[in-house]
Amino acid sequence: MLEIDNLVAGYGGVPVLRDINAKMAAGEIVGLLGANNAGKTTLINALSGMVKPISGRILFLGEDISKLTPQARVELGIVQVPEGRLVFPEMSIRENLLLGGINAHARKHRPQQMEKVIGLFPRLGERLTQSAGSLSGGEQQMLAIGRGLMAEAKLLMLDEPSLGLSPLFVQYIFEIIDKLHADGLTILLVEQNLNLTLRHAKRCYVLERGQVAVEGDAETVKNDPRTRSAYLGL
Amino acid sequence: MTELYQALAQGLLIGATYGLLALGMGLVYGVSGVVNFSHGDFISLGMFMCLALYSAFAMDPYVSIIITVPLMIAIGALVYIFLIRPMVGHQFLMVVQLTLGLSLVLQNGILMVFGGEPARTPSFVESKLIILGDVVLRVPHIVAFVVSFALAIGLYIMLRSTDFGRSIRAVHQNAHAAALMGINVGRVQVLTFALGIGILALAAALLLPGTPIQPTQGLRYTVITLLVVVLGGMTNFVGIMLGGLIIGIAEAFGTIYLDGPIGLLLPYIIFVAIMLFLPKGLTWSSAR
Repeated sequence: MLEIDNLVAGYGGVPVLRDINAKMAAGEIVGLLGANNAGKTTLINALSGMVKPISGRILFLGEDISKLTPQARVELGIVQVPEGRLVFPEMSIRENLLLGGINAHARKHRPQQMEKVIGLFPRLGERLTQSAGSLSGGEQQMLAIGRGLMAEAKLLMLDEPSLGLSPLFVQYIFEIIDKLHADGLTILLVEQNLNLTLRHAKRCYVLERGQVAVEGDAETVKNDPRTRSAYLGL
Repeated sequence: MTELYQALAQGLLIGATYGLLALGMGLVYGVSGVVNFSHGDFISLGMFMCLALYSAFAMDPYVSIIITVPLMIAIGALVYIFLIRPMVGHQFLMVVQLTLGLSLVLQNGILMVFGGEPARTPSFVESKLIILGDVVLRVPHIVAFVVSFALAIGLYIMLRSTDFGRSIRAVHQNAHAAALMGINVGRVQVLTFALGIGILALAAALLLPGTPIQPTQGLRYTVITLLVVVLGGMTNFVGIMLGGLIIGIAEAFGTIYLDGPIGLLLPYIIFVAIMLFLPKGLTWSSAR
């Protein structure tokens, strides 16, 4: 479904990511691991089109998308749930969800899609008119994921969904992720939390200083000494 | 007592249009972070377009909006794309400098074409009056009030319940997240600026009947708009309309009760007084 081919990307012409090669099959759940500043967020922003590639290619469903705008990529179904959730605080839950489905492709099916999202997160459905800024962190994370699903994602990229949440909410959010995966959604899970990710993702990539340090199935990555050194920066 | 009612009525009527002028500026500030110091000169431009259309075709200002509004929207879009956009994201002061420069260009452009003599554009409602008891209201002011409020309400509904309106608010609240939703942030910024300038074309026609115009008046409108926007809390919809009414009333009181320069200063004195006690403006209810 997704193929990253020798990708170099960064800000203002200065590369942060160097020679990234990665692949994802449809329906897969893949973990993207690494310490702070390893380039995880830069990589998903490159996939979202928020960071321009310096060289290399990104293929999505066989099509080269590396020159496409962020809007065009959202329309194709490449959807990011950003770190820190970034809900629109002064808008209601309903308005946040409507904005999630604002792209030309998803706009037509918003009512049906919203029903699905509310089915997944009944808590959001109970308070559609409440402003997003007044929600707890966990509720905001639900809203951010719901908003991403409104875009009719084919590839959902979750950036640090467990960040700042209570253990109970982390468990709940990961149950939702498993459920979405079981329904056939392709998920790229960006996390600092190593053990949590290894439990839910079948395969993982570990980034270190903008390069892929380790890759393979969860068991391999777990036992690779380089994983630990990538985390500790040794 | 009559004078009081007269001042209040006159101030309220004209204040609604000041509110409308300021809404345009507030919207642009909200999505692009740009404070347009040529705002008043675009009002001027709108007014002189009406004058030109009257001179050429004897067109009433209320009719010329059919031409001036689309024209000003187009000018607004071009100005944003070619002049302002390249500056956005750099130093805030560079954009200020740019719009100040634009103000001088517009002012002197108008001076070159129309000359410096104060000019009037007649309208069929110009001299019509409505008398309520002891209070005399000029029909153009009533038209301006009704249309300004109707437009403000229309804008409010547009911001609340259309996809374009929600995109504007999304870009204002978090441009990065808005882009991740698939919103073309650059396009929203251009359209909002163009919309803001288009509103000025309407406001120009509303303010025009019975008012002599001259090329140098732009700065006065810019300053009034800035007062209202700051008073209203930059992006607060209700606050801005209220700020417009306050400045309008202050101006009317100044001209009716006080003589000469002190009268003209009154809106500024009241502005400073309010800002001393409410430094964040009149933002008690958020209507973004």
